[in-house]
Amino acid sequence: IGALSDQTLQNEQGVNLLLTGAYSVLDGIRNNQPGADWTVSGDNWWFDVLTDDAHKGSTDGDQADLYLLEIYDWTSGNPYLAVWDGRFAGVNRSNAVISLINKIPEGDFTAQLAEARFLRAHFNFELQKMFGNVPFISVENYDATEFNQPNSGPIWDQIEADFQFAIDNLPTSQADVGRPTSWAAKAYLGKAHMFQSEYAAAAALFTDVINNGPYSLLPEFVDNFRLAGDNSSESIFAIQFTTDGGQSLNGNRGGTLNFPNPGPFGSCCGFYQPTIDLSNAFKTDGTGLPLLDTFNDSDIANDYGVESADPFVPEAGPLDPRIDYTVGRRGIDYNGYGTHIGKDWIRASFADISGPYLPKKNVYYAGEGANIGTGGWGQQHSGINYHIIRYADVLLMAAEAAVETNDLATALGYVNQVRNRAKNSSYVQNESGTGDAANYQIEPYASFPDQDFARKAVRFERRLELAMEGHRFFDLTRWGVAESVLNEYTQNEARAIPNFGTKVGTFMSNMNILPIPINAIDLSGGVLTQNPGY
Amino acid sequence: VQQTITGTVTDDLGAPLPGANVLVKGTTNGTQTDFDGNYTITADANAVLVFSYIGFARQEVPVNGRSRIDVQMAEDASQLSEVVVTGYAAQTRGDITGSVASVDIAEATKVPLVNAAEALEGRVTGVTVTNAGTPGASPKIVIRGFGTSNNTNPLYIIDGVQTDNPNILNSINPGDIEQMNVLKDGAAAIYGARASNGVVIITTKSGKYNQAEPTVTFNAYTGVSRATNLPDLLNVQQHGEMIFQSLSNDGAPVTHPQYGSGASPVVPSTVQGYTRVDSYDPITRAPRTATVNQPNGTDWFNEITQNAPTQNFDLSISNGNETGRYFLSANYLNREGILNDTGFKQGITRLNSEFKIGERITIGEHLNASFSRQQEGTLEAINMAYRFTPLVPVFDDEGDFAGSGGPGLSNTRNPVALLSRGSDNYNKIFRVFGDIYLQAELYEGLSFKTTLSGNIENFAQRRFQALDPEFIEPLSTNTLFEQDINNYSWTWNNIVSYNGVFGDHSINALAGVEAVEENSKGKGLSRNGYLFETPDFYLLSNGSGTPNVDFAFDGGNTLFSIFGTANYSFKGKYFATVTLRNDKSSRFLGDNQSQTFPSFSAGWLVSDEDFFPQDGFINRLRVKASYGELGNQTLPASNPTINISNLNETLANYSFDGSSISTGAILSQVGNPNLRWETSVTTNFGVEMVMWDNALTFSFEVFDIDTQDLITRDFSLISTTAIDATAPLVNLGDIQNTGFDLSIGYNHETDYGLNYAINANISHYKNEVKNLISDFQVGRTDLRGGAVTRTEVGRAISEYYGRRVTGFDSNGRFTYEDVNGDGTINDEDRTYIGSPHPDFTYGVNLSMGYKGFDMSAFFSGSKGNDAYNYQKIFTDFPTFFDGNRSTRVLDSWTPSNTNATLPALSQTIQNAETQPNSYFVEDASFLRLKNLQVGYTFDENIAGTLGLDMLRLYVQGTNLFTITDYEGLNPEVISTDNLSLGVDGPNPVFPLAQILTIGINTKF
Repeated sequence: IGALSDQTLQNEQGVNLLLTGAYSVLDGIRNNQPGADWTVSGDNWWFDVLTDDAHKGSTDGDQADLYLLEIYDWTSGNPYLAVWDGRFAGVNRSNAVISLINKIPEGDFTAQLAEARFLRAHFNFELQKMFGNVPFISVENYDATEFNQPNSGPIWDQIEADFQFAIDNLPTSQADVGRPTSWAAKAYLGKAHMFQSEYAAAAALFTDVINNGPYSLLPEFVDNFRLAGDNSSESIFAIQFTTDGGQSLNGNRGGTLNFPNPGPFGSCCGFYQPTIDLSNAFKTDGTGLPLLDTFNDSDIANDYGVESADPFVPEAGPLDPRIDYTVGRRGIDYNGYGTHIGKDWIRASFADISGPYLPKKNVYYAGEGANIGTGGWGQQHSGINYHIIRYADVLLMAAEAAVETNDLATALGYVNQVRNRAKNSSYVQNESGTGDAANYQIEPYASFPDQDFARKAVRFERRLELAMEGHRFFDLTRWGVAESVLNEYTQNEARAIPNFGTKVGTFMSNMNILPIPINAIDLSGGVLTQNPGY
Repeated sequence: VQQTITGTVTDDLGAPLPGANVLVKGTTNGTQTDFDGNYTITADANAVLVFSYIGFARQEVPVNGRSRIDVQMAEDASQLSEVVVTGYAAQTRGDITGSVASVDIAEATKVPLVNAAEALEGRVTGVTVTNAGTPGASPKIVIRGFGTSNNTNPLYIIDGVQTDNPNILNSINPGDIEQMNVLKDGAAAIYGARASNGVVIITTKSGKYNQAEPTVTFNAYTGVSRATNLPDLLNVQQHGEMIFQSLSNDGAPVTHPQYGSGASPVVPSTVQGYTRVDSYDPITRAPRTATVNQPNGTDWFNEITQNAPTQNFDLSISNGNETGRYFLSANYLNREGILNDTGFKQGITRLNSEFKIGERITIGEHLNASFSRQQEGTLEAINMAYRFTPLVPVFDDEGDFAGSGGPGLSNTRNPVALLSRGSDNYNKIFRVFGDIYLQAELYEGLSFKTTLSGNIENFAQRRFQALDPEFIEPLSTNTLFEQDINNYSWTWNNIVSYNGVFGDHSINALAGVEAVEENSKGKGLSRNGYLFETPDFYLLSNGSGTPNVDFAFDGGNTLFSIFGTANYSFKGKYFATVTLRNDKSSRFLGDNQSQTFPSFSAGWLVSDEDFFPQDGFINRLRVKASYGELGNQTLPASNPTINISNLNETLANYSFDGSSISTGAILSQVGNPNLRWETSVTTNFGVEMVMWDNALTFSFEVFDIDTQDLITRDFSLISTTAIDATAPLVNLGDIQNTGFDLSIGYNHETDYGLNYAINANISHYKNEVKNLISDFQVGRTDLRGGAVTRTEVGRAISEYYGRRVTGFDSNGRFTYEDVNGDGTINDEDRTYIGSPHPDFTYGVNLSMGYKGFDMSAFFSGSKGNDAYNYQKIFTDFPTFFDGNRSTRVLDSWTPSNTNATLPALSQTIQNAETQPNSYFVEDASFLRLKNLQVGYTFDENIAGTLGLDMLRLYVQGTNLFTITDYEGLNPEVISTDNLSLGVDGPNPVFPLAQILTIGINTKF
C-alpha cells in the first residue's frame, strides 16, 4: 500500500516524478548510502582538501578518513570514496527515467528525455573526472539489471553523446530555472572537451555560449555566493538548494560540516579551511596583477599560532579583493557576522594541520534567512545554490581554450572580463565602515606576451576566481600538474604550519584519479579492476 | 466362551478417560472408550484386555470371566511415555521418529528469564541462543547451523498461535509454560513453508479435570544484576602518555591542549579551555570549570553501569471439575538494566480454560495479555564510553553534565548524559494473543477440531532528543520522535484426526486446512523546537518546528495450506510417519506461489525384538531415520517480486526554482518475479539408548540439511554501480549443513538418599556453500575498510577475509602476508583469515538433591569459533585520536619492544592497519557458568504449619563466570546478517549481565 508499481508510473506524471528523483541526487545524497552525507556531497567540497586550496579543517582526529586523504595516504577502503556510489545513483536514476520513457508508447517526452540524458552526462562526467576508469551503465544494462560492467577506460564518448542529445533537444530557456537549457548543455559539453584537451571543439562551443547565450557576469563577485546569485545571469547549471524551514532536506546536507565551530553563530563543525597557500595567491604586485611565479616566496601575514587575545595585524600589502570573499581571515568581516576574531573561531588547534582560516563562499550571510537552514544539529543546511558551471568558469575555460589554440587576444579579453568584474565589485569594508578592509589592488592584464605566460595567467585566474568551489583538483589533474604543484604546495604550506609539513605525505603520480572503492570491486564480483598504483 | 464386557476407564484422579484404547490381547479385536470413558467389548472369558492411553502406563487385565472391568489408569512417569506436542497433534516420546527435542522447562526456568526462548540456550542439542543484552530485546536463535541467510528465527507455535517473531516470547510468562519442544528435522514438515529454521512448540499449563481443590502457586525472586567483563581502558595519565608517545613517534611537536608541552604529559587539574553553551539562537558558549578526577580520571564504563535490581512475581491458580478446567496466572517482572536508565517492566496475565459441552464437544481457549515498557537506552552510550577521554568528569563544577566542549577532547558525547536524557524514552508494547478452539468427537477415534487464533500488538515509541549544551558540536534544537506500529495476524485451522488400533496396528492420522494472514501498519513522526525538556511536555503538538512524517507503511501477507500426517506403528516396535503439506504464499508469483513439502520418518525399537538380550546392560535401543523437505517464506519484504517506487521527501524531492519543493519518486526496491521458495532437504538418523538399569541415557543424531535456493538480498546484482534501490531478494544458491547432536545423561540415587544427575549435550555442524549465483558474496559493506566476511563455494558461509598480519617491520608497522607473491601489498593480498563457525557447542547440566536440599549448575560453551573484534578499530587504533584506548596500547611497538601486540603509536591510522586484517580475528571459544542454584524445600509439616503445601527457598546466580580468550565485551556475538556472522560491530554489544537472586517457590 502506498507504493508505486512500474505500471502506475507509465505516464507523464510518473516520468516527472522519477525525473525529479534524478535531480534530487544532484546533492549526492542517495538511498542506502554507504557513507555520511558529507562524503558524497554534490558540491565536491572535499576535493579541494586534496589540493592547495583547502585543509580539511577541525582537529586532525575529526574525520580521520578525510585526514588520511589530505595527507595523501589513500586506500581503497576510505569511506569518502562513497562519492562513487552517490554519483552512480545519479546515473541510474537518470537511466530509470530514460527506461520509463522508452516503455511508454504514446506521448512526447523529448524534453524529459533530454533532461535525463543531461543529468546522466553530469553524473558520468563527475565519475570520469574523479575515478578515470569507470564503467558506463547504459539504459540497456539498467533494463537487464546488469550493473556490473567492466571499467575498461574513459567514457567520454558516452558523456558527449548525452550532452549532444541535450543540446539538440533542450529548450533555450526553462520556466523552472533549475532545469538545464541547451545553452547549459553546450557549456558542459565544452567542459567535457576541455577535460580531453580538445580545445578547438571546446572553444567553438564556448564562443557560441558567450556570444549567443543569455549569460553575463554579475556586477558583484560575491553575489554568486549569496541569495542574489541563485539562478542569476551568471548561473549556468546549479544544484538548487533551499531551506524550506524544518529540517531542510533540500538544503546542502553534504556541506553541513563546513561552518565555523566555535564561531559567531554557534554552528558546526569547523571544516573546510582555506590554506595559507591560497591566501598567498591573492597577493598582487604594485600594478594589481597576481604574483604568478613568486606568490609563494613568502607568506601573507597570518595569525597561525596567535591566540585571539594576542595582537595581530593583518596583511598590509596589496591583495586581490576576491581574497576576502573567499578566505575568512582574522581582522576582516566574516560574511556579516562581525570581524573574524581569529583562533577563538577556529576549531583546529595549533597542533593540527588546518591553519587559521575559515571558508566563506559556502557560508550563508548574516541576515539572509532564506539561505539559513535548520539542520538536525546546527544551522548547517545552507540554501546557497552550488554552481556546477557558472559563467566566469565558461569565460576562463574559453580563455584557456584560446590560449591552447594560440589565440592570446581572445584569451586576454576573457580573463580581463573576469578581472574587471572583480575590480569593479564592492570590496569588503573595514569594521568602522569607513573604507576597504585591506589594501585591495586589482587590475586587468595589459597583454599576454606569450603563450606560456598566458597559460600561466589563465590557470592562475581560474584558481583566484573559482577557489573553494570544488574545481581545483580536477583542474590540476587535467593539466597534468597535480604532482608538481601539490608537492611544492606541501613544502610551502609547512613554512607557516610546521605540523602540516611533518604529517603530510607525497602526492604520487597515480593519484590523479582516486582508487576504486574496495566495496565496489568486491560487490561487482571482481568485474571492476582497481586503478593503477593502489 | 465369548462374553460381553463393559466398564469405565478413568484417569489417575478418577475422571473418565474418553478415547482410551481397549484391545483383546493377541487379536485385532479392539475398541475405544466413549465420552464418559465407557466401553463395551466382546472377548473370551480367559482373554487378557490391554488398556492404553497416551500419557498413561499400559495395563493388561485378565478377564477371568468378569463382565464388568473398571480400570483406573496411572500416569506414566517415565520420560518415554511423556506426551509430546508436536504440532497439530501429540505423540508419546517413545513413538517419535523425527528429531524432537524437549526442554526440561522446570530446570530451564530456574534462570531468571525475560524471553522464554532463552530457555533453549544450551539445553537443546543443536540449538544456539544468543542474547542481545538489552533488557527486553529478543535473543537470536539458530537451529543446526546456518542454512538460510535471512531470517533464522524458528517458527513458534504457542498453543494455537503461530509466529516467527521472537519478541512475542517476551510476552509469555516462562512460569506458564508446560512444555517446550523443538522440531529439528523433517518432523517439522507439518509446518511446511515456515519450518526450515525449525519449529519451537510451546504449550502452556492448564488445570486438570476433577481436581479436589484449586492449586495455587506463588513464586517470587528478587536480586541484582551487574555488568561483567568491562574493558580495561587507559587512565588519564596513561592517556596523556599515549598521546605524547604518538606525537613523538610521528616526529610532530609534542604538545597537547590538555596535557601541555613539557617532557611528559601533565594531567591538568581542570579541563583546559572548557566551555558550555550559555545561549541558543545564536549559539554562544561561555567558559565553565570542570575538575578532572584525580588521580585516574573518569572511568566511563563504571559511570554508565549500575547495580540493577530485578524482581519477579508469579501467581497462578488452576482448578477443574467434571465439565470444566482453568488455569489463571499473573506475572510481574521488573528488570532494571545494567546500563544507567535502562530497564524492562512487564505485566502478563493468562487465562487458559476448557469446557465440555454435552457428550462430544469440548470448547476451550488460551488468552495471553501483556503490557511492557522498555527503556532501551542507547548503544551510542557504550561507543562513547569506549571513546571519551578520561579527562572530562561526569559533571562540571556547577553540577551540569560536562562534555567535550574544549580543545583536545575529540567530539564525544557524555555517555552518562546520553543515558540520563533518554530516561524518559520508552518502547511500550501492548500485546494480546491467544486462540479459541472447538473439538468434537465425531465417531470412535474420529474427531474434528477448529482453532481460531490471533495476535494483536501495539508498539508505541517515544524518543526525545534533548539539547546537549556541553557538547562541542551542540544541537541547535531538541526533537521529539514518536512511532506507532500496529500488527495483527490471525490463523484459522480445521483439522480432522483419527486414532485407531487394530490388533498390532496402531494408526494416528490427521488432515487439515489452514489460513494465515499477517498485517502491519505503522508511522513515525517527529517535530523539533520544544521550549521545555520535561516529559509532561513531550507531545507532538507542543513542538514549534514543522512536523515531519519520518516513515509510514501498511502491508501484509497471507498463506493458505493443506496438510496431512499419518503415524503408524506395528507391535509397538516399528514406527513410520508420513507428512505432506502444501502451502500457497502471497509473497511469490505464479507457479512459484505454492509448493508441497513431504516428509517421511521411521523408527525401530530394536530392544523389543525377541533376539535382543533382555538382561543386558542396554535396556532400550531404538534407531530412527527421517527425510523431509521444509520451506522458508519469511522474507523481509511483503512484495519481493515487484519493483516498488516511492515518493520520498528525504531522497527524491527537488527544488526547481531554489525555493518551492517538487515531489519526486525513486525506485526503492528492485523486485524479482522469479523468486522461489527456499527449501531445506533434511535427513536425520538417530540412535537412542537407555542403559544400566535406566541410569544412563544416550541419544545421538546425525543430520544433513541441504538448503536449496536460499533467499537473500543480492548486493552483487544491485552493486555500487547500480540504482540506489534496495537489492532484490534472490535465490542465491545452495548451502549444506552436516553434523551431529549428542546428548548423554546419567542419574543415580545412592543408598543414603543422595540423588544426582549429569546431562551433557554437544553439537557440531559443518557448513558448506555448494552453489552460488555469483563467484562470491561479501558481507555487510558498511564497515570501515569494507566487508570483513566473504561467502564462496566450497567454504562455510561468512568466513573472515582480509590481510594476514605477519609481524612488524622496522618502523613498528604491521607487515602483511604477500598472498599473491607480487612483491607489493594491496587488496589482492586478502585471504581467508578465520571462521565464525564453532567446532562444537556444548552444555552441561549438573543437579543434585539430598533430603530437602537441591543444587543445580549449568554450563554452556562453544569451541573453535572466531569473532571479528571490530571495536578494536576504535579501542586499539587512533581512529579518534584524542579519544580513549584500551590498555592493550600499552604494549605498542617501540624499538625496545618489538615483540608487541600493537604497532607503534601514531596520531593517524597508518599502513591501512584498520582495514580488514587478522589482528581483529580472535578466538571466541568460551565456557560459561550460566546458572548455579541452591535450594531448600521445607518439610511438609513445616510448610503445613504455614498453610502451604510446598515451600522452597533458593539462591541463584546467572553468568557467574566466563572463561574465554576473547577480548571484546562478550564472546557470544549476535549477528543480524548471516553473510556477516560473528562481526562484533559496528554497533557495540551490551556488557553481559551477571544476576544474583534469592527466590521462593510456594504451593497451596
